[in-house]
Amino acid sequence: MVAMEIAREDIAHLANLSDFTLSDKEAESLESDLKGIIGYISQLEELDTDKVEPTYQVFEMKNVWRADEISTQDATREELLATAKEEKDNQVKVPKVL
Amino acid sequence: MTKYIPTIGVECHVQLATKTKLFSEVDNDARGKEPNSCVSPVDYALPGMLPRLNGKAIQYAILAGKAMNCEINTYSRFDRKHYFYPDSPKGYQITQFYHPIIGEGYVKLPSGTRIRIEHAHLEGDAAKLTHFDNYSLVDFNRVDTPLIEIVSMPDIHSAEDARDYCRELWRLMCFAGVTNGDLYNGNMRFDINTSIAPEGSDELGTRTEVKNLNSFKSVERAVAYEIKRQTKLLEKGEKVIQETRGWNDATGETTGQRSKEEAKDYRYMPEPDLPPINLTAEFVATEAEKLPMMPVDYREKFGGVLKGDILEILLDYPSLMYRLNEIDKAHTVAIANLFTSVLLAEEKSAEYLNDLPSAKDLNELVEMNEKKELSSTATKEVFLRLFDPQMKGRGTKNIAKELGLIQENDFGALEVIVDTVLAKPETQKAQADYKAGEEKVIGFLVGQVMKESHGKANPSAVQEILRKKLA
Repeated sequence: MVAMEIAREDIAHLANLSDFTLSDKEAESLESDLKGIIGYISQLEELDTDKVEPTYQVFEMKNVWRADEISTQDATREELLATAKEEKDNQVKVPKVL
Repeated sequence: MTKYIPTIGVECHVQLATKTKLFSEVDNDARGKEPNSCVSPVDYALPGMLPRLNGKAIQYAILAGKAMNCEINTYSRFDRKHYFYPDSPKGYQITQFYHPIIGEGYVKLPSGTRIRIEHAHLEGDAAKLTHFDNYSLVDFNRVDTPLIEIVSMPDIHSAEDARDYCRELWRLMCFAGVTNGDLYNGNMRFDINTSIAPEGSDELGTRTEVKNLNSFKSVERAVAYEIKRQTKLLEKGEKVIQETRGWNDATGETTGQRSKEEAKDYRYMPEPDLPPINLTAEFVATEAEKLPMMPVDYREKFGGVLKGDILEILLDYPSLMYRLNEIDKAHTVAIANLFTSVLLAEEKSAEYLNDLPSAKDLNELVEMNEKKELSSTATKEVFLRLFDPQMKGRGTKNIAKELGLIQENDFGALEVIVDTVLAKPETQKAQADYKAGEEKVIGFLVGQVMKESHGKANPSAVQEILRKKLA
């Protein structure tokens, strides 16, 4: 079994992509957790999946689409905006982004 | 000195004019509407919300693909493209990374050059951010507006061809009827990838990307600028850095942008909430049948009748092309000329284009001109009045009458006026001069008759009567 190596840099990179700030302690604990998770999942690599179609979804559905008709929404703008941390002029206010 | 050959690839985002969004039953037309008024919990990405695919977007994708001579892939599906930014409440964009709905094809430019299409796919648009000094505001109205992203092959080798390609794409999408095509409001946006390489080189040079251009002119200028900038760098022995550069329309320059993320790490994964699209050949064929006349068809139909430059101008105004197509064939040239030289020169033409006079009114106008009931000046005046919100709908003849522009062609009636003029003492000398062989004074006499008729007489008919009477 080849467990994928997870380095501290990978943790930092993933955190950066998701805009998380991690303390050293958090990074350390995530590193060991992720190593465990990936090691566990890696057991699947022992199976020969050459002739198996990839599973994208568990229900064998296709072509599920709807008519192009507007329908009234259950949630109002006020309710939706109220879920944001901060709002201004009917918009969601976020820290300056570049 | 080394000659450098530029190579340009274009990615174009087209907003589809569906009634609802790609994944929710919310109004997709947010023009003139308040921020966040066209948003559902799905667009807002509240926990547990599931996307539901809009069937119309699939139909439009088929039309768009066919307009570009593309293969339609009967099997396609969606993927998640992850990134963290406030314009994406889900934390990912739903797109088609592995199995796009539109396959290879090509776009033929008016010059005849073919630009191959690599593929095109369906995806959702992002929210609109407005930046202020120390915060940004997010309007989710645009979230998951259906987009088709069209990716060209690197077949373009000049700034002019880049412009022509973008313009032709715009025409194709407008004529296919899949977008409102309003460039100013971002209905179509262009990203250009430019590189240069020494002539004869097998490899492409390092490319730069300029994103979100929304006019053909800025595409042309940005590409021209990049070619010049990169050539200078290489001539100085420096290197082109692969980067995204911003276009400044005011200075006409591109500048390097601080990259948001050093590496693009989108962690694509299949979208488990949307079952795959599996189209039958019959369905694709039935939808493709709905493709209306395309620029290539108009060029074929009118190419022999209209001058090339007039036809290309008209192809930038689909509504004019549709109307021209309904006009009596014999009137094509006359109406095309009025459209290009009178209507488009008019200040209010943009407004007028939304509501054109009927083919019947336009046919009648040309007929009145041919019967000499309207002089060419009067024809132009009546033509413009046909667009005037105060006048339109009243019919060509009524408008011409109301304005007193109908020429008197009735010889009997004209003769009466001519006789009146000839009986006037002030015309006696001119009559004598004419009879003595002074040809020029006929102009003075015609003028007198025109005056007497309050400008309604047809001058050439008046001249004919005068010559007869004074012979």
